[in-house]
Amino acid sequence: MALLTQYDTPAFLPDFNAIPGQLEAWNRAVSAWFDQNIAADQAMYGHTPLQYYNAATFDPGGIAVEQEITWNAFPKELLRRYGRERALILADRPWPIESFGVYPPDPDNTAGTSGVFYRPQEEYCEWHVRRNPDTDRILQVTFTSEPPEYWMSLTGLVPGDPTVPISDQYFPGDPETLLRLYHELVSPDVKYEDLFVSSDVKDANGKAITKKKQYNIYNKWNTTLGIAHLNSPPNSLVAEIKLGADASILYTDPKGRLLVEPDALMAYAAYGGPNRNSDPTIGATVNALARLGAYVTLRNPVGLYMDHIDLSGWEAPDKKSISECVRILRGLPGMIERMVVEVPKKRGFTISDLTIVGVPIRYGGQIAECITVKLVGTANIVPKHLPRLPAAGTGRVFIDPRWPLALEQFKSTPPGAVEGFLNEGIGDPKQSGAATMPVRKAGIATYSSQRRLSRFRFYKSEEIDAQRSQRIKSRAATGTSASYDRYPGDGCPRIS
Amino acid sequence: MTDIQAMVVPGFLKPHQTLLGIVVPDDKRVAIDFKAFIRDFTPNVTRAREGLEDRQRHRAVESRRKPRGQTKPLVGMAFTYRGLRKTTLGAASLGSDAFRQGLAARSAYLGDPVGLKDEGNPKNWKVGGPGNELDALIVIAGDTRPQVDKRATELARIIQKAGLKMSYREKGDVRPDHPGHEHFGFDDGISQPGIRGRASEDPNSFITPRHIAKAEGPIHSLFGYPGQDLVWPGVLVLGHPATSPDPLVPGTPSAAIPAWTANGSYLVFRRLRQDVGLFWRTMRAEAKRLSKLPGFKGMMDEKLASRLVGRWFSGAPVNRVPQKDDRGLGKNKLANNHFRFDSDAHAYTLNSGFVDKFPQSMADPAGLTCPWAAHIRKVNTRDSASDTGGRDSTYARRLLRIGIPFGKPIRNPYATINNDPQKGERGLLFLSIQASIEDQFEFLMARWMGDPSRPKMPAGHDILVGQNDTPGENRERRCVIFGSEVQQASVSTKAQWVVPTGGGYFFVPSISALQTVLGG
Repeated sequence: MALLTQYDTPAFLPDFNAIPGQLEAWNRAVSAWFDQNIAADQAMYGHTPLQYYNAATFDPGGIAVEQEITWNAFPKELLRRYGRERALILADRPWPIESFGVYPPDPDNTAGTSGVFYRPQEEYCEWHVRRNPDTDRILQVTFTSEPPEYWMSLTGLVPGDPTVPISDQYFPGDPETLLRLYHELVSPDVKYEDLFVSSDVKDANGKAITKKKQYNIYNKWNTTLGIAHLNSPPNSLVAEIKLGADASILYTDPKGRLLVEPDALMAYAAYGGPNRNSDPTIGATVNALARLGAYVTLRNPVGLYMDHIDLSGWEAPDKKSISECVRILRGLPGMIERMVVEVPKKRGFTISDLTIVGVPIRYGGQIAECITVKLVGTANIVPKHLPRLPAAGTGRVFIDPRWPLALEQFKSTPPGAVEGFLNEGIGDPKQSGAATMPVRKAGIATYSSQRRLSRFRFYKSEEIDAQRSQRIKSRAATGTSASYDRYPGDGCPRIS
Repeated sequence: MTDIQAMVVPGFLKPHQTLLGIVVPDDKRVAIDFKAFIRDFTPNVTRAREGLEDRQRHRAVESRRKPRGQTKPLVGMAFTYRGLRKTTLGAASLGSDAFRQGLAARSAYLGDPVGLKDEGNPKNWKVGGPGNELDALIVIAGDTRPQVDKRATELARIIQKAGLKMSYREKGDVRPDHPGHEHFGFDDGISQPGIRGRASEDPNSFITPRHIAKAEGPIHSLFGYPGQDLVWPGVLVLGHPATSPDPLVPGTPSAAIPAWTANGSYLVFRRLRQDVGLFWRTMRAEAKRLSKLPGFKGMMDEKLASRLVGRWFSGAPVNRVPQKDDRGLGKNKLANNHFRFDSDAHAYTLNSGFVDKFPQSMADPAGLTCPWAAHIRKVNTRDSASDTGGRDSTYARRLLRIGIPFGKPIRNPYATINNDPQKGERGLLFLSIQASIEDQFEFLMARWMGDPSRPKMPAGHDILVGQNDTPGENRERRCVIFGSEVQQASVSTKAQWVVPTGGGYFFVPSISALQTVLGG
């Protein structure tokens, strides 16, 4: 295997072809995102080489196996917190940017917010629903997996993130191409100035996430009025590359056991959202390959893609083909970047008249449930590999009784809450020699603040048992007729 | 335990079953009598506690602590939406679209054939299709065929005496030549989940016994037999705590709407005809083709089939013994379900003192040994994450299989239907218990088994049982397997060796609901 000569655009999108130097700049940027994420993890974990690599600068040799990692497009975070019925309603709506990372019991209430919105669709696939304003019937649902960096680069700058650190990346850019794409894909009414901010856009912590005069990924044509590319804060190409790097490191739990279970790994390694379809499976898959000693990277062209839409159980009122209601607008089959679901006018009905297993489509989210998103990794199985020392995982998750089906991250464990996976028996000291390996001391987690971690209280297992007992008993009192008294260290109710 | 039917907890795992299908004639008087029938019939229905005691007696016999004695056959009762509606208007409030629509209406979604002449089209089903839907199903399960026959005859008499029509009667028996094996030849039902919970105040009265020593720490509470997931009761029974993100923390209870559905469950019945000859002829041809490819030298039909199942004939997992079957491992309950996909496994310390010295499974995250398309890997991702995230989504999909084969075994596994004395009439009376038809049975069928990219890649379809209904693909199922040097090869077929020939979606009420709401 030779070195990669160039990182191509996602799904080989052609928009940069006519812009002098843009393709080269894209190649440099992707390469830099690999290098800088690798360097950040190396700095944090003792400056030893990672098993994650930049295919443009390193060839690990061995047998290369492509590993497609797939997940469902509908945001599991909303499912876990609000249940399916409500999640379908909430997922279709833009949320105020101030609420990112915060899940209010009543997310419909947007009074008093800044008026800047994002889509709460955190599975690297986002959609916009266009309805008939008079009848509320769904006319069109447009899905995208295009990373914001691709569109930002047309303005000449993809801002970095000093906390990693990732540097600013500069491109020749071409504002005309940017505006043309908006006109073609979103609306002919888009004006160039609509796409930029006149003042900083801030998140819930007051941090500027888009600075004054920069391209505004949250502009109205990419939120309330339409969709151009991904804009949910976690959905970016740099995040994808970073997740791969972080997940390629071996981690241990607080007892020094090698982490192998997907959820526990996510909890302690803290490399993504524990309530997602995507991050736990991406992380666990990469980590499992890394545990085997494989070198891992993302396949060129690095991107986030819709793999396919499953039309099983779909039915149209005229009983004719559904396939012609689905069009790929950008990307390739298996590497879909933009897809629209719309009934051809000649058929005389709307998306709302279609049914999925007998249930009429009322929300875009019902269609998202049928979409599989993916990224493609490459694992190089090498004949000899250096034993990697696992690092101590610095993250934690707990279950808050207010959201009993969700995992909370990086917060102090409140009374009555249960710290997750502390008692799962995750990992196994007998495996991979982990028990005899000196555990490398971890540095400061990158996207959790040191301050937050220092506030974290480590619970002893007896306390956890007591907390769990209390919670289970209180649930039994309000829940069912069964009693759920349990014995410490066990997880068993008594069915009366 | 006195309110839940034994068919649900601990489930029927008997070697002989008879299914009786009931239809209520469209006559008002009979409909009223249907309620009276339910009330009078209910004392015949076996409660969970009796079922568990029966199971415990069997375990004692198995471990030779007690002599085998005569036990009474177990009886379960379930209703389709059509039948339930005839007893209570509240049937319309049950929180399952799938149940209300019924299996025949959802058949295409499951990937079943839709051609009018297809045997698998509900219009051609032997039971449960348009015009031959059932209102209720009685399941009788026992240790001997004569016992079950006798009980079935008694109950049939009660049904007919009530003026109800018994439109379906079918026997299911374990294979006399290979007890526990389905007709393709593989030991079946090894990966059943266990149910979390105790049946009494006795701290050791676990519904599913624990075999891993407490010294192993929390692992002791994660599994019954090594590798046997313990699921929260709400995964199988309505109104009880279900899965949460942490397997040792109970989640919110499975919704019991209306309230009288608490302690009830859903039963999926699929009558699946298995064309054994077609399966093995296809395996033979594909193995021959593969054996000529680099990395697949010596590929034989048994080995190929084991890759598509994930286990050898004996039940030994291919992840533990990749090269050939190991009967000792296959029949050993303390070892045959203990393996992992994403990381190496090791032996646990067991209460019995048994030391598992069979080869342990090695990490196989990409499916190089046990392909991701293998049936056991499609329906249970074990320690791997999936397209729906971490392990909780796997726990939440588990179901309890209580089905049984029907028809006589075939002597020549390659025989064509013309050379088969049974003319292909053998298969599986698939019966499964779950709290949600949509999120468990249908999810597994449509989202994982029938989709080439889920739960994980590189996969393909579940060639053994899955279907491909994608327009233009002629129902061809494809999957990926790997050779000795990681060479990738495709296996594909249009052969339909598992054909749905009947079934239905049923609700299994609690005993109290039978006595009051439905029978009152």
